[in-house]
Amino acid sequence: MLRLLIQELRFRRNAIIGWGLGLCFFPIVYLGIYPQVAEEMAGLADLEIYQAMGVSLGTLEDWIGSILLLFVPLLIGVYAIINGTGTLAGEEEDGRLEMVVTLPLPRWKIVAAKALALSASIFMILLIVSLMSAAVFVAIEDQLETGLKAMQLTSALLGTWPLPFAVGMISLFLAAFCSRRRIASLVAAVLVVISYFGSNLAGTTTALEPLEPTFLFTYVDYTASGVSQGQQGGDVLVLLVVGLVAFVLALIFFQRRKLTVGAWPWQRAKMGAGSIQ
Amino acid sequence: MTDNVIETQDLTVYYGKHRGIVDVNLTVEKGKVFGFLGPNGAGKTTTQRVLVDVLPPSWGKASVFGLDCQTQGVELRKRIGYLPGELALYPNMKASDFFKMYEYLRGSNGAPGYWRELAKRLDLDTSRKIRQFSRGNKQKVGVVAAFMSRAELLILDEPTGGLDPLVQRTVLDMVREAKADGRTVFFSSHILSEVQAVCDRVGIIREGRLVATQRVEELFAQRMNRMTLIFDAPPPPDSFALPGVTELGRGRQSVELEVRDNLPRVLAAAAEHNVMDIETHNVGLEEIFLAYYSVENGGDDA
Repeated sequence: MLRLLIQELRFRRNAIIGWGLGLCFFPIVYLGIYPQVAEEMAGLADLEIYQAMGVSLGTLEDWIGSILLLFVPLLIGVYAIINGTGTLAGEEEDGRLEMVVTLPLPRWKIVAAKALALSASIFMILLIVSLMSAAVFVAIEDQLETGLKAMQLTSALLGTWPLPFAVGMISLFLAAFCSRRRIASLVAAVLVVISYFGSNLAGTTTALEPLEPTFLFTYVDYTASGVSQGQQGGDVLVLLVVGLVAFVLALIFFQRRKLTVGAWPWQRAKMGAGSIQ
Repeated sequence: MTDNVIETQDLTVYYGKHRGIVDVNLTVEKGKVFGFLGPNGAGKTTTQRVLVDVLPPSWGKASVFGLDCQTQGVELRKRIGYLPGELALYPNMKASDFFKMYEYLRGSNGAPGYWRELAKRLDLDTSRKIRQFSRGNKQKVGVVAAFMSRAELLILDEPTGGLDPLVQRTVLDMVREAKADGRTVFFSSHILSEVQAVCDRVGIIREGRLVATQRVEELFAQRMNRMTLIFDAPPPPDSFALPGVTELGRGRQSVELEVRDNLPRVLAAAAEHNVMDIETHNVGLEEIFLAYYSVENGGDDA
């Protein structure tokens, strides 16, 4: 399985570099300009629209949390959806999966290698952005009045990894479950969007409060506290469990999948023994 | 102890309500080349996908080397070189990187770097990216990948598709050499001449059902005669209603027959009606297979 994992990481090399460097835009621009906009941002701290979006911009930590801790994992979540659904359903649709599954490897190892490679690639992208953020922070540190350290910033960003990890595993599961990649991608994207807005709106609307625990973004602290103290252990645990459950479901559904056919699970069941009239 | 490498029993695959294959029973002996013939959509690819455990059967059983295809797929795939019919490769990889990866993932089976020899033989430039290849060159990549591990069983789904005649001949030579090494080849095709050239036995699949399995020489022994009889007056309609004889057409004074059997009785019947002339010609292998494929005549009376 190690060989397959290495190969899967090789396949993702360009994506890791591309997404990593692309997302460096956030720390370079948003962190880089902070010294110039700090005073204006302090005045916007109480705007309701920002609160509804789950954003607070009053302090450097708020700014970093609202921009980096929120949008970087969110955008890496997009990568996780593209890669997670492309890795099984996409490869099946374009036919490449047939060459892989006819290797002398059990299917669970194939899924596990792809899941590990996806998780590792998410971490690597996050690492690139985190290191760039730390570098930018060090460059502007003397213009800031803050007790925040570059290392804290780096670990705060890396601490958001469980969110895109969970999104990636959910995407992988959907790729093993759905009959087509585009359906899997669409469902995953809708889940993320609902989760993002649901989590933010639940904080401002009592009607949505009961649903709050079901939104993935509920378990990411992108406030000042998330930046200075890192993510809550319980939140991290919830996201890891969600990701692992999705991974196990991906294993189960891929094991049962009739490859090259692209059917839904209930159609696959009909193909099984005793289903023919 | 059976000497069969492949055995299927009532192998059936349905895609929902759509037929894949139905009750396919076949055996392939060790060290033989088995030709699997059928038109597009007949079920050749489905059968092969069951053998390599890409698809599970709806019912029935398939085993390779005595190993159950569904429960012991990993073990049996170690011993199989597979060329899928719908070959899809990684377009951004160089062919050489693809072979290295493939060798790395499936093992070289004691022949590391053998792909280089095969690529050279097929005149394949492995330094180029796969997306730059023509269809024929991509097919060469698939052929090399199937042969490179010197697997005991080769399952080749239309291996010469898209190849020029010279390379086709090389691939058929490679199949013969595999057989000479004692390896077994399951060779699907709808090109009769290549099946005739390399196969020991032939299975003919039509609309998902295996309609015949024969040795190639037996198939040749079934060569039909097509015969036109010319009379001085039209003979009665049922004059040639004999087993093994099909009346293909009738003119004012002539009758056209396809004769698979009972030639003496045909001649005797013709003699009863004042035959003036007889024209005959042998029917080729192509037409024998067409008789199997034909839905109109039941297909299995050949």
